[in-house]
Formats: sequence, structure tokens, C-alpha cells
Amino acid sequence: MSDKMILTAEHITKKFPASGKRVLTACDDINLTLCQGETLGIVGESGCGKSTFVKMIVNILKPTEGKILYRGQDITKLKGEKLRRLRPKIQMVFQDPSAAFHPKMKVMDIVTEPLMNFRLIKQSEKEEKAKELLRMVELPEDYIYRFPHSMSGGQRQRVGIARALALEPEIIVCDEATSALDVSVQDRIIELLVKLQKEKGISFIFICHDVALVQSLAHQVAVMYLGNVVEILPGKDVRTNARHPYTKALLGAIFSARMDFTKEIKSIESEAPSPLNVPAGCPFQNRCSQCMEICKVKKPELRKIGEGHQAACHKLKSL
Amino acid sequence: MDLLCMKDITITYGKSETASVEHFSLAMQPGEIVSIVGESGSGKTTVIRSILGLLPGGGKVKEGDILFQGNSLLNLKKDQWKALRGTDISMIFQDSGAMINPIRKIGDQFAEYIRTHEKMSKKQAWERGAEMLTRMHLPNSDNIMKSYPFQLSGGMRQRVGIAMAMTFQPKLLLADEPTSALDVTIQAQIVRQFMELRKLYHTSMIIVTHNIGVAAYMADQLIVMQHGKIVDAGKRDDVMKHPKSDYTKNLLACVPDMEGKRYV
Repeated sequence: MSDKMILTAEHITKKFPASGKRVLTACDDINLTLCQGETLGIVGESGCGKSTFVKMIVNILKPTEGKILYRGQDITKLKGEKLRRLRPKIQMVFQDPSAAFHPKMKVMDIVTEPLMNFRLIKQSEKEEKAKELLRMVELPEDYIYRFPHSMSGGQRQRVGIARALALEPEIIVCDEATSALDVSVQDRIIELLVKLQKEKGISFIFICHDVALVQSLAHQVAVMYLGNVVEILPGKDVRTNARHPYTKALLGAIFSARMDFTKEIKSIESEAPSPLNVPAGCPFQNRCSQCMEICKVKKPELRKIGEGHQAACHKLKSL
Repeated sequence: MDLLCMKDITITYGKSETASVEHFSLAMQPGEIVSIVGESGSGKTTVIRSILGLLPGGGKVKEGDILFQGNSLLNLKKDQWKALRGTDISMIFQDSGAMINPIRKIGDQFAEYIRTHEKMSKKQAWERGAEMLTRMHLPNSDNIMKSYPFQLSGGMRQRVGIAMAMTFQPKLLLADEPTSALDVTIQAQIVRQFMELRKLYHTSMIIVTHNIGVAAYMADQLIVMQHGKIVDAGKRDDVMKHPKSDYTKNLLACVPDMEGKRYV
């Protein structure tokens, strides 16, 4: 792990009010670090709070508690012009490329809108800049005159990436950016993201529900469950060294093209409890095969269990 | 005799000259599971919709024939369809919650469905529905019968869909992306349930999915489609281990995998 931390989330908690005076805790005391030029993968199932977390990173939501430090500066308290000055540094690519653009804007206007907004280019330079951005994401230059609806899903996602790149950000957040795409298209989009990362040293936060995909492209992987980070480990170690029962359950549920088809698929029973009704103790207790008495009472803390490896489980010994 | 036989069918939509599905053939035996994989727009959904005569927007089987237990399905009358759909052949959709009425209770619709096909009292039908839910491993079946679709999680809704589809123990079950909207751990549960159903009821299934891992895991026969044509078909292990077309080879290489390629 390189030492250049670019973004640190410290004790981030986000609570939403719900009906009947109840409180929904979407993120519970999350501590994560993103290093310069690396990818932080966040994996988890629906409702685990991964999207809420990155919305706080890009400053769409404010955390209830905690700090997000970007180059040492707490960005959660920024307002007005200072916040506006921060926005170009952290950009986002969305999941659904058909809903992420104004349908009546041409690609040229879409990808240069951030630049026009920050008055970085003149009207006369738009066309040239748009072409340059499309070249970066390997789309034909004449696509700048197209509308989003006359492009395929993969092409549209490239436009989304071009728009995120326009302001030369240091961090790009991808919220399920490839989940709506076919696998062969997904493969090419990932190749593109990795190439851009190597060329420009961009740091990525990559959210995905597919653990097999995340581990293949992330330097660090954080596994989330019901608003908690339950395990953090290097992407290359996920296959061999995942220790938390939930991470193992995710790995056991992968259907791959190379698996032994005669072997019975492992799956954990039941479903995650509602985030409105999180049990005391370990959030994973009702689905864990190794649940002990202590798990029902005391919530396990995220502890260091190996080099660059943290997990929150009472079963695992801390280092 | 084959349970289902699709002979060289070609399907077009509206007045379009280009076929959405071309020269598709398939023969399956009772108890067999066939998976159809392909990327979006490859025509896989069109194929299984054509079996039930549910092609949308002027879709038409232009050439070929579809035989179910030796009888053609192409020129059935309305009441013949009514007798067949939901009993001998039934279908599960990607999100079963979206296929049922959002403002009526699950139980009301379940009972209505049962009473459409079999003469019984509302109470009996309700009980039969609740019993089916229990059999699909849904706890508190009475509670679920009294719920509205939006009150259930995606996995529970899918189980309700499967319970409804299995009520009359169909000979053929068609499933269109049955696990694509689910979380991975729930997906594994549902796949296991499908395999269990086959064991218990000897139901034949056609599974349409873009998830090659799921398709291959479940299938006896595997069909790979691209642009409306079959590019690879045969026994699961033959197709997975020795794919004939470059398209299939490429597709297999792109599936993210723990042992597969690393990008960084």
C-alpha cells in the first residue's frame, strides 16, 4: 500500500429519519482510506449503505457524524464557493448511463458542461475539447453530435466517464458503473478505467455487488454489511485470505464459468434484517453459521488481523 | 417423444424485414433443464416468450413450428391457451413483484389464479396458496398472503412467483432472468431451489439469463445466442469446455472470476 493517502473517512455515520420516529442507520462508524492512484473497491448487497457512503464522499449528503478528510481538509463542513472549488476534484460515474444525461443534450454539450460551468473553456473551444475527451475514452470523434439515445449502453457509459474526466479530477467515484452492462462490454470499460488510472494517476472508489469483479481491479477491498464495514483487505488477497464469514459467504455464492458444476452451490440461509431493525451485537449474527453467545450481545470492532487486513468478527484473533 | 420441440423457428416483429430470431431449434426431454445465454438484444427472451404465445408488439413466428408434447402451439385458440398457460406451462419473470398487481394483496391474487384453473372455494384456494408458499421455504406464509407486493423483499417476491408458477406442477417452467435482480447470496438460494424443484417434481425448465455461471450451473443443455442466432449449443460440458464459436470463447473469457484475469 502506498503511503500517499488522498482521502480518509473517519467515523462516518449517517442516519436517516424514518416513519414512526424510527431511525435508519445507513452507515455506522465507517473508517476507510483511499490512496493516490489506487482503487478502493466497496462490495456489499443492496441496502448495505455503500451508495450512501459514496454520496457523502462526493458531498451530495452530509454525514450525521464523522469527518471526510481530502488532503487533510475536512470536506464535510465546506459551503458555498469553497465547496464549489472542491467539486472538480471528486467526480462521479453513475450506474444507469441512460438516466445520467439530459436526453436532449448532445454528447458535445454533455462532456463539456462541467468545463463551461467552471468557465475553463470558451464556447469556441468546446468542439475541440469534446473531441479530445472522446478520444480519451476511445469513442469516435464524430459522436460529439449524437444524442445519448442513439448510442449503446457501453458507449453511453464511456460518455459518462468522459464527463467525469473533463475536470481532471483526482478521485472518481464509480457507483455500480458497469452493473447495467453486458459482460464483454463491462470488460472493455474496466480495461479503460485501469488504463486511465495508470496514465493519469487517478484514484478510484469502485462500488460493485460482484465480489469477483471488485477483487480483480481494486487494490483495497472493503466489504460492507448492513451499514458496517466488516472486512478490509488487499484485492489480490480476497481469493485466498478472506476471513470474515460474510465475505466467505459472498465468495461461496459466485457462479463462475470455470467452477465445478457438479459441486453443490453454497449459500447462506435467510436474508439480511431490515436496516430499520438492526439487532444488537454483530449485524451478521442471524445468518452466520458460527454465531456464538457474545455475537448476540457485543458488536465486533474492526481490528487488524494481518498486514493490511482488518476484520470485524469475534471469532478472529487480532494481531 | 420430446416434451418441447422448436423446429427451425424464425420470429419477426411488426413489418420489419430483419428477423429477431432466426432458425432457432431446440428439443428437450421431460426433466431436462435448458439454459439460454446471450447478451442484451440477442433474442433470448423472444424465444421463450414465443413458446407461450406472448410475443409483444406484433411479434410473429414466421417460419418453423413449436411442438409441446407433439401438438403445435402456433395456432391455439384463446380458451386452449387459457387451459395451457399457468398449468402445463408456466413462467417466472425477472421481478415477480412487478408482474402482480401492486395494489392487491398477494393472497387475493394467488387465490384468484388458483380458482381460474380449478373449481374451489376462496378459502380452499387461499389455503392451497399458503401451503405452496410454505413449500417454497417462505416462513409465515399467512403473513405473506396478507401482504402487498411492495412489503416483501426481492428474494421473497421471487419465491412467491415461483410458488405461483409451481402450483399446478407444470411440465415445463419458463424462467426469464429469474435471479438477475437479486443479491448474490439470495441468487444462490433461488438457484438451489430451482434444482430442488426439478428433483421433487421432475419439472423441465428453460432458463434465460445473461449470467453464464448460473446458466451453466443449472443446465443439462446450454444454448448461446448472438444477434438472434444460435452460435453454440449442446451438452453443458461440451459447450463450456470446447466452445465452437469465437463469440462463446470471448464471452467466457470476460466473465469476472476469482481465478480469472486481474486488471491491476
